[in-house]
Amino acid sequence: MSNPPLLQAALAAHRFGLGEPTLEPLAADPQGWLLAQIVPAEAARGAGLLSTRDGLRLIAAEREKRDAARNPPPGMMAEQLLAGHYRDATLADARSHLVSAAFGARPLVERLQLFWANHFTVSLTKGSARGLVGAFERDAIRPNLNGSFETLLKAATTHPAMLRYLDNSQSAGPHSLVVARERRRAARIGEPARVTGINENLAREVLELHTLGAASGRAAADGAGYTQADVTAFAAVLTGWRVGQDAADAASPFDAAWHEPGPKLVLGKRYPEGPDALGAVLHDLAVHPATARFVATKLARHFVADTPPPALVERLAAAFLQSSGDLPTVYRALVRSPEAWAAEQRKLKTPAEFVVSSVRLLGLSERLFARGDGLGVGTLGQRLLAAPSPAGWSDRADDWLGPDAVWKRVEWSTRIADRVGRLVDARALAVRSLGPLLDTATHQEIDRAADGPQALALLLMAPEFQRR
Amino acid sequence: MTSSIDPRRRFVVGTLLGAGALAPWSTLSLATTVNASGNRFALVILRGGMDGLSAVPAPGDPSFEAARGALGRYAAPPLALTDTFAFHPQLVETHAAYRRGELAVVHAVGLPYRERSHFDAQQVLESGGTRPYDLATGWLGRALVDGRAKGLALNTAVPLVLRGPAAVDTWAPSVLPEPSADLVARLERLYANDAALATALQRAKALHLDGAIMPSDADGDAAGMTAMTGSAPPVRPNSFAALARRAGAFLAQPDGPQAAVLELGGWDTHANQANPNGAFVAALRQLDAGLAALRDGLVAADVWQRTVIVVATEFGREVAVNGTLGTDHGTGGAAFVLGGAVRGGRVIADWPGLAKADRFEGRDLRTTTDLRALLKGVLADHLQIARKRLDGEVFPDSAAVRPLALLT
Repeated sequence: MSNPPLLQAALAAHRFGLGEPTLEPLAADPQGWLLAQIVPAEAARGAGLLSTRDGLRLIAAEREKRDAARNPPPGMMAEQLLAGHYRDATLADARSHLVSAAFGARPLVERLQLFWANHFTVSLTKGSARGLVGAFERDAIRPNLNGSFETLLKAATTHPAMLRYLDNSQSAGPHSLVVARERRRAARIGEPARVTGINENLAREVLELHTLGAASGRAAADGAGYTQADVTAFAAVLTGWRVGQDAADAASPFDAAWHEPGPKLVLGKRYPEGPDALGAVLHDLAVHPATARFVATKLARHFVADTPPPALVERLAAAFLQSSGDLPTVYRALVRSPEAWAAEQRKLKTPAEFVVSSVRLLGLSERLFARGDGLGVGTLGQRLLAAPSPAGWSDRADDWLGPDAVWKRVEWSTRIADRVGRLVDARALAVRSLGPLLDTATHQEIDRAADGPQALALLLMAPEFQRR
Repeated sequence: MTSSIDPRRRFVVGTLLGAGALAPWSTLSLATTVNASGNRFALVILRGGMDGLSAVPAPGDPSFEAARGALGRYAAPPLALTDTFAFHPQLVETHAAYRRGELAVVHAVGLPYRERSHFDAQQVLESGGTRPYDLATGWLGRALVDGRAKGLALNTAVPLVLRGPAAVDTWAPSVLPEPSADLVARLERLYANDAALATALQRAKALHLDGAIMPSDADGDAAGMTAMTGSAPPVRPNSFAALARRAGAFLAQPDGPQAAVLELGGWDTHANQANPNGAFVAALRQLDAGLAALRDGLVAADVWQRTVIVVATEFGREVAVNGTLGTDHGTGGAAFVLGGAVRGGRVIADWPGLAKADRFEGRDLRTTTDLRALLKGVLADHLQIARKRLDGEVFPDSAAVRPLALLT
């Protein structure tokens, strides 16, 4: 790393963190500043936040309301009668998501929180995840950021939000007690059985999106990856992992009555019947070389470049494998990799990163988040906690660089600049925050702005601030 | 229909209108005199894998009832298309288009990709390749290479299908104030060395400030919408129908985009698919209203006769109902082609049958028509793209996939 120290500090602040208003405090030892942050995450910030158990109670309360609203007036859907049931909890979750990132003392850890919450996406786009998405981030992801990947994987996979989001709560072994019981009930009343067997959604996404990666599925033809039979068998292992109708069940999400009897063969290995098999499969997946490579590639892509340097991916994958997926070891390897410190800013910030780094740059108050939707991140194309699919938000610039997306950022910057542009000196702020990253031409353009708000809008929209 | 695959089976073209036997293959020759530059194309991508057998059931297939169980029974009677096929009762407007002869259904259609990953399948659907991640640009983006042709995505981001050498605009509704022209001019200077940001800004500016192709603004006018779409319910500003209407307004501009891409999610229905208040019916309702809104705008602007719309999804779903009254990922499914330029009122299918032995891997509706045949037919006959380019550049290595004849 032959960059001058101030450039290193600017890269540490913006590429690995969420931006700093001044580089002074980290200029002495930028890498040390990052390494010192690799400790367990602080608790999430915010008020009115539900625990996982509270979230399950909220869902149970909704079910009662829904029963009461069984016969809605004509033209009205049950959804409309129930509108607003989750509003307060969801707004509190969205605020906490942003406020924790913007005001946390360890920006690298907050970046990792955003990264892993996106890797293990649960999303409000599916009704069944409502009430639990924030709790998932706080209870499954945040406490496990700094341990082993295996622990994180197990916490994410067995959290009620994930079990519901990817339909596992409804997946039953075809030969389970529940299916037999349901078949008898259905025959008695002459209706189709509501539960008859496997739903393989969670099994497929754990393999494809959380561990081995889709490329591994594609390699199945060469005998290297996983096959449809592996997906089905893993889904059978997952049967029984559900959250009961009663919130009190939260502590024991495994229900043997739903579990498919008999051993299962996943990736050529035999796993016994019962709840312990899931932990064993997840252990084997967590330390699999394909998982090491998949996670290494995603981390490198997230922090460094859409097409990450192969040497960096190798280094991270090796750190992952040698440490059996010890995440702090992998993070340290990332911070110490010379490839991660190229001066060129190749990544474009996501809307959430852009908004959070603007808040940090301007020292805006937490009160700004007190109401509404999280300062308009949704308008910028990233509705908080509502990623469009289980694959999460894209981590590639092309997907955020549509003309409309960039235009919305200009509009957003204009609005913020109108509010606070007369209170800050954008010219000085640009130098203090971006240091050597600030291009001479950009500096000049900000200097020559018509007024304070315009100077600030230019700073927020400058390539040096949009990229990292 | 037989219970096993008959190698001699003929291409079945069912029609409601009773038109005689129709050659299914495109017969476009270079002698065409139509000027394609005024023609319009829209692609509607249904993300999540629409269950083709729920949207377009085949009650006439002897195995249908047994194979589909609870998902084969509807709250209202399905809307008849042919002896074999019908529409889901929710697709009222779409059915009306079929009856007017403006819409054709292509069934048992699918991608060359035969796996079950959404993300890989969407990559193949949009890139036009045969394997995921072989291509980094999209087939429509490559088709529009001509300097005059322009694409528009009704979305904040550019979808892969439109990526390529041609100019692409994106548009989505906004609640924020417009920035000043002065600020934008200064940003253009700031982006002198950042080509990606510069391009995006330049395109956005053309849509927002230059006013070149701004359609009239009446998004919030729910009453007006209702008047236009007859009995359709009021349209929310951010709904798919509102976006579709916007797309129609853009496409209707004389110098507007030649191709527009819309996306509609919510099709990954692993559970409770038949629930009348559930996700699948809600998605169908949105699709039905959106297609009607798109048509209304184009009819009013007299562009409908020069329009073709393709509705496609990344894959279908398994024939059998899964353990939670939904369906898991499968391969073959259904696609729609509609527009004033379409010879509709037909269900085009080389129907493989639904018996277990006839299914792909014993699970899915077997893909017997390559979706690229449909897309190539539209691009060839409607946008006048030369067969050679279609076979090589637009859909690489697809010479063996013959374009379907879909136009009047």
